[in-house]
Amino acid sequence: MLQLVDALLSSTLDAAPALVFAALGAVLSERAGVVNVGVEGMMRAGAFVAAVAALVMPTPLGVVLGMLAGAALAALHAWLCIRFRADQVVSGMAINLVMLALGTFLLEARFSPNGTPSIEQLTRWGSGVPVLGGHTALTWLALAAPFALHAVIQRTRFGLRLRAAGEKPQAVAAMGVSVSRLRFVAVTCGGLLAGLGGASLSVATLDRFEHNMPAGLGFMAVAAMVFGRWTPLGAAAAAAFFAFGNALRIGLTSSAPQVLEVIPQGVLLALPYLLTLLLLAGQKRGAGKAPAALGTPYDPELR
Amino acid sequence: MTRALALCLTLVSVGSCKKSDEGGGAKPGEKPAEKTIQVGLVTDVGGRGDESFNDAALRGLELWAAGSKLVDGKYVPAEKRDLEASIPADLASMVTRLPVKPMVLQSKAQEDYQPNLQLLVDKGCDLTVGVGFMLENAVEAAAKEYPKARFLLIDSPILDANGNPQSLPNVRTMVFREHEGSFLVGALAGLLAKEKVGFVGGMEIPLIKKFEAGFRAGVKTTNPKAEVLVSYTGSFDKVAAGKQVGQDFMAKGVEIVFQAAGSDGLGVIQAVKEARAAGKNVYAIGVDSDQYRVAPDVILTSMVKRVDLAVYFAAKDLVNGNFIAADGDLGLKENGVAYAPIRLAVPGKDAAVAKVEALRKLIVDGKLRVPANLGDLEAFTPPAL
Repeated sequence: MLQLVDALLSSTLDAAPALVFAALGAVLSERAGVVNVGVEGMMRAGAFVAAVAALVMPTPLGVVLGMLAGAALAALHAWLCIRFRADQVVSGMAINLVMLALGTFLLEARFSPNGTPSIEQLTRWGSGVPVLGGHTALTWLALAAPFALHAVIQRTRFGLRLRAAGEKPQAVAAMGVSVSRLRFVAVTCGGLLAGLGGASLSVATLDRFEHNMPAGLGFMAVAAMVFGRWTPLGAAAAAAFFAFGNALRIGLTSSAPQVLEVIPQGVLLALPYLLTLLLLAGQKRGAGKAPAALGTPYDPELR
Repeated sequence: MTRALALCLTLVSVGSCKKSDEGGGAKPGEKPAEKTIQVGLVTDVGGRGDESFNDAALRGLELWAAGSKLVDGKYVPAEKRDLEASIPADLASMVTRLPVKPMVLQSKAQEDYQPNLQLLVDKGCDLTVGVGFMLENAVEAAAKEYPKARFLLIDSPILDANGNPQSLPNVRTMVFREHEGSFLVGALAGLLAKEKVGFVGGMEIPLIKKFEAGFRAGVKTTNPKAEVLVSYTGSFDKVAAGKQVGQDFMAKGVEIVFQAAGSDGLGVIQAVKEARAAGKNVYAIGVDSDQYRVAPDVILTSMVKRVDLAVYFAAKDLVNGNFIAADGDLGLKENGVAYAPIRLAVPGKDAAVAKVEALRKLIVDGKLRVPANLGDLEAFTPPAL
């Protein structure tokens, strides 16, 4: 029994990092007031670049390049949304579509349509230690990152300004701080995290870039962000909850297939999305709602 | 404006099709030495180099039938060594060179299927092959538009509006009896594992249930006491979901796992690979093509679908003048499904292979019927070994 619990938690910790990092990236961007539905595309860029880079250099360096790829896309998103006041949802979706096609194209031109050759996976530490052992450094980073981001957003001057840029950008401007620069930094750092989430798919979950990656995990991360009420700790908990729910569903249905006669598999698979919808529908005014200026380009003429 | 744009796009797509025509087609003024038969082939979006379905179909046509290979967009005669290496030992006597000329178009998007098929028919192909069930609609439309042309559709029957199989007078369709191949890998797993084996499917659809039914029947035959864990990931594109299923199975002590789950299956294999690296004695079984390259130290064998053979047979029948438009299926008897060579040195391998071969003979001789769905599996009584 204890062994099964161990396996359940271990599987959760192995699957969660991709979702946690991506959800944190989305939080960072949206707390500054820029909608980010391009997480999926940024993850795909991160996964692809990390795997391709790891073919010719040490894998950790590949991960860094993957993060930068995610950041580059996010910078493009920020530039379109801030400089040109483009529709933030449209820009994000465009990034998803372009990356879907570009990833496939580069893969076919350079490798095979199925994926890149296999690479050296990130090292796994402490195998044999229950639950926490046998994972890559990314798992531990995913455990620490939510707290670090929480501290930055809640406890630093930068964090205060960032939140203000998402709630009432005019107040930030009145203080003599550039809203555009704040938002640009936040969105780009968000892309860095989304790229890291993608990279963890191709260097820790699998040992190559596979042509379907990330297969909807980016949208799942956005759902986790909403579920976590736009807070780092909440979003990370929601992401971990989704990964845990998956592991639990798998473990339960393989041990006791009778469960599926009561609840169809499709319902279980749709559960995270259903929960997010329910939460959105029941959202009250006041604490824990979306940032007030989310999705509106900053206009200095407005009061 | 929109109409003009649509016209432009059509012209562009036709133009690009022509460009991607790879070295086929007789040059004007060139006299054919003997009557060569042109065989066209349209890949699905996976295309050349997918190391799976499309590559297998191309191998059947270009290498086996025409004895040629593609170098820089032109066909050159293949070296004898390459040709011999590509033909599995059990097919060596069946495959001989045919006087056919391949003409291949790759599809970059779903919208390419029908124009590509039409282009090949217009270029005078005597037979046009559509690779994969995704081309079902396109082949149906092309076959109705060109009643004199002949077609081969791989891996799906032609379906009518209600989704029921129908026959067209100029289309041969070829599906596979995957349950028979799955039965043999199930039997092998049962022989090599002690207590637990596992099956991971992708989406819960009848095609994948065929794999499950065959696999479980195989395990039941050789190791009735073994427990079979079954899980469906619900998708074919989520590596991470597949890996979680694999991890679950490994934690529950599954020794050998068979996956028919597309990309999710790669995640399953990865989980097995990591469990093996952590010191567990576990194996995975691949699917569709020989997947040993994915993870050489954990892939015990693969349940292979011989798409190459289906294409080759159609070309051969065409050359011999006995091409019949009919709905056919390929199983163990026709060598249409098989298990890939077992490369790992597993204890008890020779004895296990001998037993699996005996079972194969029973099925080939028609003495054993493998269940193709879970209903039949209930009623299945294993043969005495």
